[in-house]
Amino acid sequence: MSDSRSSYTRRNVLRGALFTAAAVPFGLTLASCATGGGGGDDETTGGDESSAPADADNPFGIEEGSTVETVIFNGGYGVDYVEFATAIFNEMWGGEATVEPTTEITAALQPRFVAGEPPDLIDNSGAQAMGFGAILPQLEDLTDVVDAPNLEGTTIRDTLIAPNVLDSGMYDGKLAAINYVLTVYAVWYSKSLFDANGWTAPTTWAEALELGAAAQEQGKFLFAWGKEAATYYQTLAIDSAIKQGGDEVRLALENLEEGCWSKPAVQSVFTAMKEIVDAGYVKPGGSGTFFTDAQAQWSLDQDALLYPSGSWIENEMKDNTADDFQMMGVPTFVVDDSSALPATALHSEAGEPFIVPSDGANVAGGKEVLRIMLSNEAATNFAKTKLAPTVIKDTVPEDGFGSTALVSQVEMLGAAGSDTFTHKFVGLYGLNQAQLVVWNSFLDGSKTVEALTSDLQAITDEARNTQEVIPVS
Amino acid sequence: MTAPVTGPGVSGLRSGARARRKARWTFDNISFFLVFLGLPLALFLLLVIWPFIQAVFYSFTDWGGFTQEFDIIGLANYERLLNDATFKTALGNNIKLAIVVPLVVIVVAMIFATLVTVGGRGIGQTVGVRNSGFYRVVSFFPYVIPAVVSGVIFSKVFDPSNGLLNGLLPEFLRQNWLGQVSTALPASMFVIIWGAVGFYMLLFIAAIKAIPAETFEASRLDGAGRLRTMWSITLPSIRENIQTAWIYLGIAALDAFVYMHVLNNSGGPDNTTLVMPQYLFRLAFSQNQFGYASAVGVAMAVVTLVFAGVVFTINRLTGGTTRSN
Repeated sequence: MSDSRSSYTRRNVLRGALFTAAAVPFGLTLASCATGGGGGDDETTGGDESSAPADADNPFGIEEGSTVETVIFNGGYGVDYVEFATAIFNEMWGGEATVEPTTEITAALQPRFVAGEPPDLIDNSGAQAMGFGAILPQLEDLTDVVDAPNLEGTTIRDTLIAPNVLDSGMYDGKLAAINYVLTVYAVWYSKSLFDANGWTAPTTWAEALELGAAAQEQGKFLFAWGKEAATYYQTLAIDSAIKQGGDEVRLALENLEEGCWSKPAVQSVFTAMKEIVDAGYVKPGGSGTFFTDAQAQWSLDQDALLYPSGSWIENEMKDNTADDFQMMGVPTFVVDDSSALPATALHSEAGEPFIVPSDGANVAGGKEVLRIMLSNEAATNFAKTKLAPTVIKDTVPEDGFGSTALVSQVEMLGAAGSDTFTHKFVGLYGLNQAQLVVWNSFLDGSKTVEALTSDLQAITDEARNTQEVIPVS
Repeated sequence: MTAPVTGPGVSGLRSGARARRKARWTFDNISFFLVFLGLPLALFLLLVIWPFIQAVFYSFTDWGGFTQEFDIIGLANYERLLNDATFKTALGNNIKLAIVVPLVVIVVAMIFATLVTVGGRGIGQTVGVRNSGFYRVVSFFPYVIPAVVSGVIFSKVFDPSNGLLNGLLPEFLRQNWLGQVSTALPASMFVIIWGAVGFYMLLFIAAIKAIPAETFEASRLDGAGRLRTMWSITLPSIRENIQTAWIYLGIAALDAFVYMHVLNNSGGPDNTTLVMPQYLFRLAFSQNQFGYASAVGVAMAVVTLVFAGVVFTINRLTGGTTRSN
């Protein structure tokens, strides 16, 4: 078992320490370690690109019968939607496009990036995704995919659900990733429960506090949280602060600025949340509860009325949702009427970033599979099977394939119009784990607003001082 | 390590069989050396020493983990390590684990082992308590369950709302076991101990069985009770096993990654259950700071070495030998 096995290895390492001293004089060239080998590989970007003439049917000049290797994050959405696209690819080009599912993207691909032999298309998603800061120079600019026609003949750029939907894949002016799935961050509730009690979904923190009092009367709570997902409340707070304070707040946080957590908009949100925590409207014990168990307390037991999350929540809790729950979303609350963005403004983010490494054996093939995925046929298939919208518009019918949450998402997106925003510093600099600790303490009531602010600022400051900051504007 | 042992053994055999010095480099000899000395040594160098050297090397760089480019930055990573409050917290937690876990596991395993071997009726042949065979098998079960599984099981048991433990306890004793500063680390320690006791009990049983039964009989004839027998006969006789157990357990506790990662994957309330390997993992795989993470790894190796040194020293100071013969 783990302890005996790991002790053997550690023991060997210890013995190794003795040998290390002996081995160094033998002149072992340290540089030829995991990073050793050819330095010139970086320059060779997909030799296939000029091998066949490019036209509207074949914009990337793909060769008949060529093989494409894709590595796809096997998370909430599975991998079958990519297999749908590779099947079309195989039919079109008579080649072989393979799909390798994995949940450990970094562990599986980091050595391959170092060796200069990455796969052709990657869905860099999940908790173990590779940080974009580290791999950015090795990725293709995907602008030519967006400017290519889809399988139905329309330019992909014209089929996007909103012009700014690609922004989440822009790093320093380069479209390094195309995020495929549209995620709406909102506060979710049960329409049937709210209707039965005559409640309406709050749009400000003051209304939320009132609803909390109403919930308490019935022995229920306003919010519930789980230990691995305490930072969902951070997302809620950031979204609310951005809606209240506008772009200034977003940019300060995104650029890891000094004092960014002390901005008045952020502070007013923290204070409002603290009021809710202190009033006892948050179900206690979240810091010791598995997040899916906590989510079931909301969706199945209905102990809590509201849950802030991305729109994957419907799919994630599908088997643990009360009958006739009628999941609906409401955009993140604002603090008051003086907010910089309207109450309908929405944190919507395209997720599941698909990337094409420049060193891949078949760069054109990777782009081609991506082009197929962005076509109406494949995108509709995704919306239908996963009950989630993609970045391609007009793929969800009126009835949302029977999902109230999907209809609600489309409505929220429509109401928001161009007032959508996103932020990505938490994932980009790998801050989530450290922030979880802080938020767990805040939500269980043991941290003040001041302590929350200074702890989060310390995490931001450390990231700024130890990692390369990619500017956002 | 086989190297120093194999060498003299072989030459000893040769010299015993009438000295034929010229025949030293026969095919027989050379192939023997290659297979039994060269191959293990080569594997050892390649798979153990070489990665170790690499890790030490990377700890002097700012390697991000995904490119072939990095700068050598000297001791900057170690400087940062000295001022890193999170690392110090993790180190402190590991030290707490390395003290408490071996102590409790060894005491409990020792008590169980004594009970099932010599704790039985006080007259006649020295035997364990009734049904000791059954207890021996049952107490080994936790060790058979993979650490990840027992971690998942116990995080459900400790669940504050629907957990088994809180369900059994009266209202005023219910706790948010894994979620509050005061109980998170003890609760995690309990899981590790629960998983380890069975194996070390088995180790001690084997050792106790090797003690001649006459010794126990003699002490009993002299009027020694069970506790006295354990303290004066059993313990000194299996001293070496206990030392080995202590070092193994200590090393496991200095790691503890699997349990801690499953029970509280972010480091627990206020980082009270964060251990060094978790911090290393976070730095390397979510913050892409492989250079700094390597420095943390080197620091972990040093701590482990120091721990082994301390255990050996304590054993020697209390009158034991440092090497089992």
